[in-house]
Parts: sequence; structure tokens; C-alpha cells
Amino acid sequence: MVSMYLSSMLFLLSGSLSCLVLSLLCLKSGQAWFIEWELLSLNSSSIVMTLILDWMSFMFLGFVMFISSMVLYYSGEYMHGDSNMNRFMYLVLAFVMSMGFLIISPNLISILLGWDGLGLVSYALVIYYQNEKSANAGMLTALSNRVGDVAILLAISLFFSCGGWNFLFYVENMPIIGSGGLLCGLVVLAAMTKSAQIPFSAWLPAAMAAPTPVSALVHSSTLVTAGVYLLIRFSPALEGRLSQTVLLLLSSLTMFMAGLGANFEYDLKKIIALSTLSQLGVMMSILSLGYADLAFFHLLAHALFKALLFMCAGAVIHSVKDYQDIRMMGGLVYHMPLTGMCMNLANLALCGTPFLAGFYSKDMILEVAFMSPINLVSFLLYALATGLTVCYTMRLVYYSLSGDFNLGNLYSISDEGKIMTNPMMGLSVGAVFGGATLAWLIFPCPYMICMSPVFKMLALIVSVIGGVLGYLLNLNAVNYNLNSLKYYNSVVFSGSMWFMPFLSTYGASKNFLGSGETYQSVGDMGWSEYYGGQGIYSFIMSSSKILQVFQDNSMKIYMLSFLLWVIVLVFVVV
Amino acid sequence: MSFLQTEVICHSRKVCSLYKRALRNLESWYDRRPMYRYRAVLLRARFDENKDVKDLRVAQQLLDDGEKELFSLIQYQPKKFPLSPGGVAYEREVRAPDWVLDYWHPWEKAFYPDYFAKREQRKKEYVEWWEKTYGKPAEQGH
Repeated sequence: MVSMYLSSMLFLLSGSLSCLVLSLLCLKSGQAWFIEWELLSLNSSSIVMTLILDWMSFMFLGFVMFISSMVLYYSGEYMHGDSNMNRFMYLVLAFVMSMGFLIISPNLISILLGWDGLGLVSYALVIYYQNEKSANAGMLTALSNRVGDVAILLAISLFFSCGGWNFLFYVENMPIIGSGGLLCGLVVLAAMTKSAQIPFSAWLPAAMAAPTPVSALVHSSTLVTAGVYLLIRFSPALEGRLSQTVLLLLSSLTMFMAGLGANFEYDLKKIIALSTLSQLGVMMSILSLGYADLAFFHLLAHALFKALLFMCAGAVIHSVKDYQDIRMMGGLVYHMPLTGMCMNLANLALCGTPFLAGFYSKDMILEVAFMSPINLVSFLLYALATGLTVCYTMRLVYYSLSGDFNLGNLYSISDEGKIMTNPMMGLSVGAVFGGATLAWLIFPCPYMICMSPVFKMLALIVSVIGGVLGYLLNLNAVNYNLNSLKYYNSVVFSGSMWFMPFLSTYGASKNFLGSGETYQSVGDMGWSEYYGGQGIYSFIMSSSKILQVFQDNSMKIYMLSFLLWVIVLVFVVV
Repeated sequence: MSFLQTEVICHSRKVCSLYKRALRNLESWYDRRPMYRYRAVLLRARFDENKDVKDLRVAQQLLDDGEKELFSLIQYQPKKFPLSPGGVAYEREVRAPDWVLDYWHPWEKAFYPDYFAKREQRKKEYVEWWEKTYGKPAEQGH
């Protein structure tokens, strides 16, 4: 019998190849298919099921399917022996289906199905392991994404005034729509939750509680890019809006915060998650400068090498028996040369090393951003974040690959079997050639870059400084005094993502839970109970008792009422 | 204190506990073994300096100061063993023991009548097999 991981891989790989070929055809001919079924027409607003099949959706779909196929094949060994392996496979396939649905939907209602499907399946994948940590992470993930779902729902209700939900028809004319500003704000909010921008960043590193193949697919290259993809489709509507300016500031801050946090993080997967967050910030910021094509280019190139990086991290974690702490690793390049090579490749691509996948997109983004009229804060954040990316990458290389062997126990560490290394090799090809190929395909005419030599060299200079610092800061003498202890507060602040996980959980729920408790003690169990349930009960009881006395046919009552009537009549007569 | 203290903990035990936690904290900060050993020796020297203090008021003060110092320098991401409480792989796969099924409510069992009927039958067969193989258990006196 063919294993499920193998059949899924073949199915997705064939789908991926078909999509990529169709994408090339669309690119070449400039065609796009728009398929529409009208389901219901209500008050001149038609509810239609719409699919858009253009080069962009085909290409993104092809990449998603390619990465999913590699990840599913990889899972065949990574998840081997797991008691719920089939459930895992079905969940990943459901995730790919939701993602596909989102990619080919140009309609806000049908996009919600894919969007919500992603939220639901990602929750199920984060809580795949049954421990408390996963439950907490899953809840944080689901609730953070729920904010975005609500924003989409509100946007749907606002779109009603346009007479349809096919946003592709309206994005060009958004300025003349009355509630256009609010609508753009809501879509940007939704995208920010899915792409984990500040202040919704806490869920992405927390979601690393999921199995590593899930992180490779969901939390690096597909789910988190859904927000970027939505904004790419919406980008014409955002031009000149307040939401665009806010997005630029928040995405630049996210980029910087994640880069800084990764330099103080010790969990291997969380370092990579923070690096994803940083790259998402890059995509969002260039998008908010109005270059949607560059954001899409970086989205695809980043997906290739980030999935590879996660796969290598998974191989390392598998090998060192579930340790994820980089302090417990080191010298792995001698024991796992193939994984080390792939990991270095992905790391170098991430840093934007010339001619690897990240170089083409990242370098172009930086140069275009430096040419744009951005403010000084955003410019500084861009430059610092670029340096920090190389810094944490070199730190990671030192700790896990080239530094001293630091593992507590000497397990038999070696490169895993072929089922794990083959997909890594497949993605390595993508990490090397993906950027150049995409650049040739997406940009037939090169971007005109015109800037002073200082600006031209800036990206290179900050990268070199970052890399040297990242490596040298970790080469310490035996009697070295840790500077981290001298600047303890700053280190804890940076290493805890500016306390965002704390603020997103305790900070967000404290006041509501507190007011709920007050309401319960004062209202439900206080005044409302005293005058409501108990008060009405005692009033009816005492009234019934009085009525009972009247109904007992007592002689005294007759005499009393006779007397009362006599008094009344006497007063009336007199 | 996250647990209910049911015994008096003597001063020396508190000092030992502080020492162990301080060592673990150092291990989390100084992640290279030689660096950690160097710091551990210095820490041991600091504890040894005051090992002969007889005045318990002074000793208590030293302990309080030590606790405060440790709290002020605690690692924000302490090293954890993956399978220990707080570790990344702790309780990933929870397998409910078989006897949990015996504690299902009859209404819950009624959802799966065939399964539970077969289960009761198997239990009976198992007891029979046991008694046949090892004999009946001795009567328990009250």
C-alpha cells in the first residue's frame, strides 16, 4: 500500500507543476480567467461564487503546493510513530485546501471561507500536541486571528453598499466609495492579524508549539502570508490612505522588534519564527510604500528558503532528541553535514547573500525603499532591521552549527534518513535558483534604481557589521562578564518581544475579566439577585400569605371589613 | 510558594535550595561549559564565605539578600529539559489508561453498547484465565 505521505506528495507535486505551467502561460499571454456563478440576487446586490485564475494566483498556488508536497513527504519520517499521523496528514491537506480557496477568491465572502478555514485548521494544528503549552498557544493564535475575521465580516457589511463583494471591481474606485477609508482600515487590520504585525505579533512565536513540519508550511510560508496576499490584491485601494501610513510605521516596527527579539531568543524554532515576523514586516512595509509586486516577489522567495530553514531545524530537533534550546546544541555541522549545508544555504538566502533567493527580492526592496520618500524613523528601522537579520543569523550559525558541541547527552547525531533530507534538497534548489528565476519571470523590465553610492552600499555595510557583531559577540573568554546582566532590564525587554505575549494575553483579558467579576458579584449575585430573583420571590410569598388570610373565611376578617365599610359610609354620608 | 508547605523547612535546606537554583540560573546565562564552571566556582566561594555564620539573624538576612539577588538576575528563558515540566515536549502525547473507561457514566457507555458489552466479556474471560493459570486469590480478611 502506498503511504499517505507519498501519495499526498505526488498529488500536490503534480498540482504544483500544473499551476506553475499555467502561471507561465498566463504570464506569457497576459490572460486571466474569471469564473463566476451567481447564487442569489438580493436588492441589486448579487451573491456570487467567484474564482480568479491569473498568473499571480496560479504562481502562489504552485508555490504553496510545492512546499506542502515537500513538507508532507518530510512528515513521513518526522511524524513517524506518532499515534495520530493520519489526522495530521488530513489537517495539513485541509489547510492547503483552505489556502487554495483563499488564493483564488477575489470575492470578500468566499475569501472569508478560506480565511476562516485557515484560522480553524491552524488552531487544530497548533493544538496537535496535547500539552498545556499547545493549548495556550492555540488559544492565543485563534483569538488573535479572530480579530481579523471580525474585521473581514465588518468589511463585508460595508461592501454591501457597493452592490457586490467582488472587491477586484472596486479597489480601483475605492476613493469614491463613501466608507472607503473605513473599509481599507478594516482590511488592513485583518491582514495585520494574519501576518502577525504589531500589536498582534505574539501568536506567531507561540504557534511554534505545533509540530515542526506545520511550522515549516503554516507559520512560515503560507498562513502568515495570507494577510500580505490580501493586501496585494487590495493595494490599489490603499494608495494615499491613512491606513497605508499606519501600516508602514507598524510594519517597520514589527521588522525591528522581531529582529531584535531574535538576537535574544534561545529557542531554535522561535528564532526562525521571529525571523519570519521580521520578513513579514519587510513585505508589509514595501507594500505600504505602494510596491505590491515587490511584496509578492519577496513573499514567494521567502517561502522557499524559510520552509527549508524550518525543515533543517526540524531535522536538528529530531536528532538532538526534542531539545529546541540552541544553548544545548553546537558543532552540528560536523555531525550533520547535509542538514548543516541546507541550513546555511537558507540562512544565507535569508541574509540576502548575492545570487541566492533572498538577494533578488530583499536587495531590490531595500533599494526601492531607500529611494522612496520615507520618513527618517522608517528608514532607520529598515537599516537596523537588515543588520539585525544578519546578526541573529550569525548567532544562530555559531550556536547551532559551528560553535562548541554543547549537548547534554551524546546521542547518535547524524543526518536523518532520506525521507527527511530529500525534501530539504528539493527546497535547497528553490533557495538557490528561486529568486533569480522569479526575478526574470515577474519583472521582464528591470526596476530603475538611481541612488548615491552611500545608499547603494548601505545594505551591504549594515549586513557585514551585523554579521561580524553577531558572530564575535558570542566568542567569549572563560572569565567574561556577561553584558546581558549589566543591562538586564533592556535584555529582558528585547528578549520578551517587548512584553507583547504578556500584553496580548494577561494585558488584554485582565480588565475584562476584572469587570466581569465585579459585574457578577455586584449585579448577578448582588443587586440583581436581591431585588430580582430573591426580591420578587419574597414579595410574592408575603403577598400570598396576606391573600391566604383573606381566603380563610375567618369571622374576624368579615367583621373587620364590615367595620371598614361602616367607617367609609359614615365619612361619605357625613 | 506554589505548593502547600506541610513541614518546617530548616535554614540549611533553604540555603541548599537557593544554591541549586542559583547554579541553574548561571547555567542558563553562561551557556558554554567552561564559562559556567568558572562562574559556579565563584558562586560556591560566595556561599562558602558565610558557611560558619552562627548568628541566625545574620544568616537569615544573607539568605533574604541571596533570594533577592537571584530574583533580580533570573534568566528570562531558563534551560528546561524537553520532557520535564515546562519543557517543550512535556506531555505531548497523553495516553489515557485503560481503566478510565470503567469510570465512564452508564449513559456515556450507552453510546457504544457493542464495545462495552465486548469489553465486559473480555474482562470476564481474563479473570477466568487468571484464576485458571494462577489460582483464585486468597480471601481477604477484614
